[in-house]
Amino acid sequence: MEMHQIRYFLAVSETLNLTKAAERCNVTQPSLTRAIKALETELGGEVLRRERALSHLTELGQRMLPMLRQCYESALTAKMVAASIREGEAAPLSVAVSRTVALRPFTTMLRELSCAFPGLQLQLRRGTGAEVIEYLKQGTAELAIAGPLDEPWSRLDAFPLFEEPFHLVVNRTHRLAGKIRVEFTELASETLLINTECEMVEELKACLEANDIVNTATHQVATQEDLLALLDANLGVAIIPDGASATNGFRRIPLMRLELARTVSVYTVAGRPRAVACATLLNLLRAADWSFDARTAQQGRAH
Amino acid sequence: MAERPLSDIVEDAFIRCRDLQAPLAARLQAFADELRRLSPHFAEAVDALVNRLVESDAGATAPKVGEPMPAFLLPDEQGRLVRLNDLLGEGPVAIAFNRGQWCPYCRMNVNALARAEEEVTTEHRHIAAIVPDRQKFAMWLKSDAKAPFPLLTDVDNGYAMSLGLAFFVGDEMKHMMVNSGWDPSVSQGTDNWTLPIPATFIVGTDGIVHARFVDPDYRTRMAIEDMLAALRSAR
Repeated sequence: MEMHQIRYFLAVSETLNLTKAAERCNVTQPSLTRAIKALETELGGEVLRRERALSHLTELGQRMLPMLRQCYESALTAKMVAASIREGEAAPLSVAVSRTVALRPFTTMLRELSCAFPGLQLQLRRGTGAEVIEYLKQGTAELAIAGPLDEPWSRLDAFPLFEEPFHLVVNRTHRLAGKIRVEFTELASETLLINTECEMVEELKACLEANDIVNTATHQVATQEDLLALLDANLGVAIIPDGASATNGFRRIPLMRLELARTVSVYTVAGRPRAVACATLLNLLRAADWSFDARTAQQGRAH
Repeated sequence: MAERPLSDIVEDAFIRCRDLQAPLAARLQAFADELRRLSPHFAEAVDALVNRLVESDAGATAPKVGEPMPAFLLPDEQGRLVRLNDLLGEGPVAIAFNRGQWCPYCRMNVNALARAEEEVTTEHRHIAAIVPDRQKFAMWLKSDAKAPFPLLTDVDNGYAMSLGLAFFVGDEMKHMMVNSGWDPSVSQGTDNWTLPIPATFIVGTDGIVHARFVDPDYRTRMAIEDMLAALRSAR
């Protein structure tokens, strides 16, 4: 499979017109048709129903489209990296991170990136799930790291990185701090600290309800920082993601039947040219061994 | 009890073939024969796939001898970014594309490369393998093959595809592979079902391809003696 075959196919999928697609790719129509035929041989079926001005994708073509686009973008990135590795050149990179996702697991990749691109200039934004999507749409962020984003936008590419469990976290002086484990019923009389801007707030509420924790007193906050400050002041207990609960000074206690976890993913916008630094970070994140990282992070906290 | 997958059944045969006192080509062939004996059905599907790749001239546009090897920047099994130029800093390098940790032929090939590296490392000649596997799986392959050299992750086969070395597995072969216990989507972390054509490029310190081996039949690999000779004669 050759890059130009996919490029021609993508052009046809966008124009739905062989003549226009050939023009856009700057080739003759016979060469475009030939290349797509070759691609079809490889894919084992027709991707296109050919009608001069009314061509359309077959079921196979539709099914293969997102995958072909992704493959093409990866190959394009590789080509771009090859062409543009120049020492010291300024490499701006804008990243949006959800307010509830800890940055720590990603700092090793950022350090690696800055070694490879000494001209790296990072712009880090924080936001709620909705804000993160907005940053991506507007192009103010090239790449985002967040929990599940409830967003139907078809151009949003999500690459899952790791599962992050939620834990019950209390102040060290809290009455539950000495417990080996806690039942949900023991939370009925507690004040719960809830971050209303967490991507998982609805899931958390549903989980509490499912375990008969209803009408419990809450303090609602909009940032993880404020939640931790209230936790530090012992104003309540919280059920928060693993990364956020790694802060010293708090106690993490197993909460029986708590099966709340989220998938932390890296998000990019399909079909938008990626700068080399962004593309390289995406590869670093996707190639990384998250299971190992999670384990060592866990061990680090245990000591 | 669930039926054992083919990948499990052939593991003993794999170890036996890998450890034969014979050239790599003979060991690969011994394993291919064993696989054909255990599952003629699977071997026929592989033949059909290879024929399809040969007919479509897969790999024909990959860099040729005398042409520059395009630069890359890929993470190794520990997450360190490696450039082709970094590798060429010390001397000529053999770049070996492999399909992944799950592939017995690749495990055998990387193991043979690992033994070959010992012979030339003191002569400032090195080897690097490229796989589409994520780090955890690249690390597994590295230790399985006892490879002292880096295993670089080519996410989505992007670099391989930019060289015309990636192909689609296709639905039929995909189902057969999954049922047999060979599922590259796990180690790749994507459902794209693309694989690289195993190929080896010997690149001189000037970045020019000095020798190469490209064969869409993934059951055959560059002979170790040929690779060593090319590495030694490269400048």
